[in-house]
Amino acid sequence: MTEMPKNPEVDERIVKELQSIVGEKNATAAKHVRYAYSYDMSFVLPKMPDYVVMAETVEQIQNIMKFANKEKIPVVPFTAGTNIGGLCIPERGGILLDLKRMNKIIKIDAESHYAVVEPGVSHGQLAEALFEHKLRFGWPVGPPSASVSSCAINHGIGGLNARYGLNSQEITSMEVVLPTGELVRVGSCAIVEDAWHSTLPLPKLDGLFKGWLGSTGIVTKLGIAVHPIPPVLKVFTVSCNNVQDMYSYMNNLANYEICDDLTAVSWWLAQVPIPYPYREKPEDAPEWFSFANTNSFTEKEKEAREEIWQMVVDEEVKKGTSLKVTEYPEEALKARTQLPSQIVGSTKNYCKMAGAGISWPGTFTPANKWSPVYTEWKRILIEHKLSPSVRMSMYRGVHYGMLRAMIPFNKQIPEENENARHAIVECLKVDLDNGGIPYKPPVDFGHEINKRAHPGYIELLKRVKMMLDPNDIMNPGKLAI
Amino acid sequence: MDWNIPSLKDLEHYFWRCTACGTCRSAYDYGPPPTARPICPAGTEFGFEGYYSSKGKAAYARGIMDGTLDLDDPEFLEAIYKCTVCAGCQNQCQVDYKPHIPEIIEAIRREAVEKGAGPLQSQQNLVKSMKNYNNPYQGPRRVRNEWTRPFKKAKKPIKNINKSPASVLFYVGCTGAFNQTARAVPTATAEIFQKLDIDFGILGENEVCCGSTAMRLGDAAEFKRVATANLETFKKLHEERGVSTIVTSCAGCYRAIKKDYTLSSDFDRMMAGIEVIHTVDFLHRLVKEGKLTFEKELPWTVTYHDPCHTGRHLNKFQVDREGTELWEGAYVDIDESECLYDKPREILQAIPGIKFKEMDRIRANSYCCGGGGGVMTGFGDWAAKNAGIRITEAMETGAEKVVTTCPFCHYNLNEGAKRTGSRMTVHDLTELINAVLPEKTP
Ligand SMILES: Cc1cc2nc3c(=O)[nH]c(=O)nc-3n(C[C@H](O)[C@H](O)[C@H](O)COP(=O)(O)OP(=O)(O)OC[C@H]3O[C@@H](n4cnc5c(N)ncnc54)[C@H](O)[C@@H]3O)c2cc1C
Ligand code: SF4
Ligand code: SF4
Repeated sequence: MTEMPKNPEVDERIVKELQSIVGEKNATAAKHVRYAYSYDMSFVLPKMPDYVVMAETVEQIQNIMKFANKEKIPVVPFTAGTNIGGLCIPERGGILLDLKRMNKIIKIDAESHYAVVEPGVSHGQLAEALFEHKLRFGWPVGPPSASVSSCAINHGIGGLNARYGLNSQEITSMEVVLPTGELVRVGSCAIVEDAWHSTLPLPKLDGLFKGWLGSTGIVTKLGIAVHPIPPVLKVFTVSCNNVQDMYSYMNNLANYEICDDLTAVSWWLAQVPIPYPYREKPEDAPEWFSFANTNSFTEKEKEAREEIWQMVVDEEVKKGTSLKVTEYPEEALKARTQLPSQIVGSTKNYCKMAGAGISWPGTFTPANKWSPVYTEWKRILIEHKLSPSVRMSMYRGVHYGMLRAMIPFNKQIPEENENARHAIVECLKVDLDNGGIPYKPPVDFGHEINKRAHPGYIELLKRVKMMLDPNDIMNPGKLAI
Repeated sequence: MDWNIPSLKDLEHYFWRCTACGTCRSAYDYGPPPTARPICPAGTEFGFEGYYSSKGKAAYARGIMDGTLDLDDPEFLEAIYKCTVCAGCQNQCQVDYKPHIPEIIEAIRREAVEKGAGPLQSQQNLVKSMKNYNNPYQGPRRVRNEWTRPFKKAKKPIKNINKSPASVLFYVGCTGAFNQTARAVPTATAEIFQKLDIDFGILGENEVCCGSTAMRLGDAAEFKRVATANLETFKKLHEERGVSTIVTSCAGCYRAIKKDYTLSSDFDRMMAGIEVIHTVDFLHRLVKEGKLTFEKELPWTVTYHDPCHTGRHLNKFQVDREGTELWEGAYVDIDESECLYDKPREILQAIPGIKFKEMDRIRANSYCCGGGGGVMTGFGDWAAKNAGIRITEAMETGAEKVVTTCPFCHYNLNEGAKRTGSRMTVHDLTELINAVLPEKTP
């Protein structure tokens, strides 16, 4: 592991003050506690917070923020730390605010199809509660113990993205503690206390708190849309020998909007686990596999979807592409259709062979750029002896979507950490130059994004940030401006 | 006798396989229906990431190895003992760290003991007692036999194996012998054996602790001392007294003999011709062979608590040590066949009149009672509080009694019931079997 920076001196006065807010047991500057928050799975180098605090109520959070703002101490919110971008690793020390104990499901309105959750509610927990009402949400293929709200406010991607959009598009209302300690609400709950059903028709102020690297406030309650579980699952699986053919199929099929999830993964990502270091794909194996998850309420509805899918397949075959209807490797299919997924969430899929590290250039990229970007990524990654384990997913109703390479590496060896970082940043530049934009990016990416940004955008970003967080205490350094 | 007990350094490769994904925080099952339940007693109580599950323990191990964390820091020392070593977290993990998780937690403690820092002050008496009395309870030798007095009185004395041979050694264990509440366990076991005419004997005052507690606390030297003595005794009993089976009713002893003792390079030689078996397994065989049938009725509504040491601690992991199959150190597969999940349940359900209810967290995802890993001695209050959580879960099933197969769980769950003011009573499975087994017809 890379050497840990020297710890700043702990201020006992601050510890006492924090303890007076959350109780003696829930605030500490003990080194062993801070250490466990100093790293994650990404290539981001470890850095320790100065204090760790566990909050259990909104009022406690308000008091922590008021105090931190007065003292100008950075605050880094944390729920499970699985963002893969080093986002919970404090750039400038300060208070690590662990919210996992705020884990109440406040409401499931099975009639109006929304739920209200606290930040510590996990995907697994909510999946269990929603299932009782035969309802579902867009579960990511991430750890079941990670937070629903953290995924949503960071533009997370779930298994219903082709049907309903990103998880952030599912947000219906929010309660937030501002960096200055005031409590605010956006969406319908701002007008009627118990109404959490929609952010519209009001100004979409939820944007003030979504997708901001380092956060612009502490989300304390989140309303999200939830959906019925159609009982008939049908997964269509195909393979192609090259990325261009796979793109052609996905683009075609996406027109009909029949899928909950329309995803393709390269041969390397379809392996459980991803090979590390890079290993050549067997010559006779296709380079791409796709699974298209569909859920229908009746057999007839399923058959209608099947008819459309078959038509697309026939068209693609007619075009002379390499598309074949194939079986998808069983464990890999389970990993991506049985969500929340223990197989992928536990990193068995990604890291089991490489060890401890995983990072990604995870981007939203126009679909017509997937092929050229992938070709370049493949070259860069193979040069770095890393597997081009790439995923492409089409979003709802549009021809753009997720393009990301999930790159495992051996984090124990600093050279391998650096090798992965270098490769990934190189990949990212290629994507940015092709119109892609990374999500949940580490600071290295932030700099690359902002280098290319319109000056007016950066200026606006700064102004909004200043307005919300005048002392720049919210996880400072992550915005890369 | 050589012992191959790994140091933290020896295990470094494995704790560096942890990705910090946090999957070990809860027991999740896709189902359907999906379920996600807390699994880590330490995380539930203390909350901060380091305390939480195997993710936190990997952090501690890394911090010690890179020199950031110092075991002389009393707060950190306490933290490494705030874990029941229940392996609930291990059951969730899917990477190469998995097979080694409890071993790494204990290697951290061994590091502390070797440094002269561990175990905790509150646990020192236990270690001293091991040295002075060969048991962790500061019990004089003669007290070890006290539980057998009623047998003598009833003119059904239990054979001392040192004096007369027997094919079965009933290895009582320190908790059953010295703990008043847990004495019900060896008593019921011996009564059952007598009713079934099993040719068994005990070591009596000469029984030496199995070493489980010492091992869980990181005191490898003390573990090796008693384990070596026991292996030598077992070999001698086999050769000189005809012992071919060692039966124990204690989950801790069972785990130690079955698993920890295999760390001895001489294990196979010392144990040649001897089978180690838990009482439940032993009796289950007799049930299957039709040699044990229950006649009386027990109109109880019960639930079953899987002890960690007769459950997931008995998992066998296939690891590709040389890298011939996958890669060096790869975790290949898990074999649960030795975990006693079905057998106690089958026996329970074979008892006439029993209404059986399952708790939410069972079998491999059983929620630890909170007493293991030295926690009962080090943090008695937390142990009882955690047991209270388990008792509440047991109550929610509608059962009025909780049955288990470990004297340690038995004691601690009792504490939990007292603490929560619950009417729930705790019983060892042997007590139930004994209750429905008719007296031997003379
Ligand atoms: C193997 C693997 C697969 C994954 N797959 C996916 C996937 O398919 N889709 C996907 O979207 N993600 C995926 N992820 C990323 C991640 O697991 C999820 O997005 C997850 O839900 C994030 O939750 P968390 O609790 O780990 O958040 P954290 O990492 O703790 O937090 C994420 C960010 O939100 C901030 N934050 C946390 N709480 C608050 C709050 N209350 N208010 C304001 N800011 C806050 C944090 O400071 C941080 O910047 C994956 C991760 C792994 C390890
Ligand atoms: S111990 Fe296993 S499950 Fe837990 S964080 Fe580490 S890799 Fe994930
Ligand atoms: S062994 Fe048990 S108590 Fe210890 S960290 Fe794992 S789950 Fe928690």
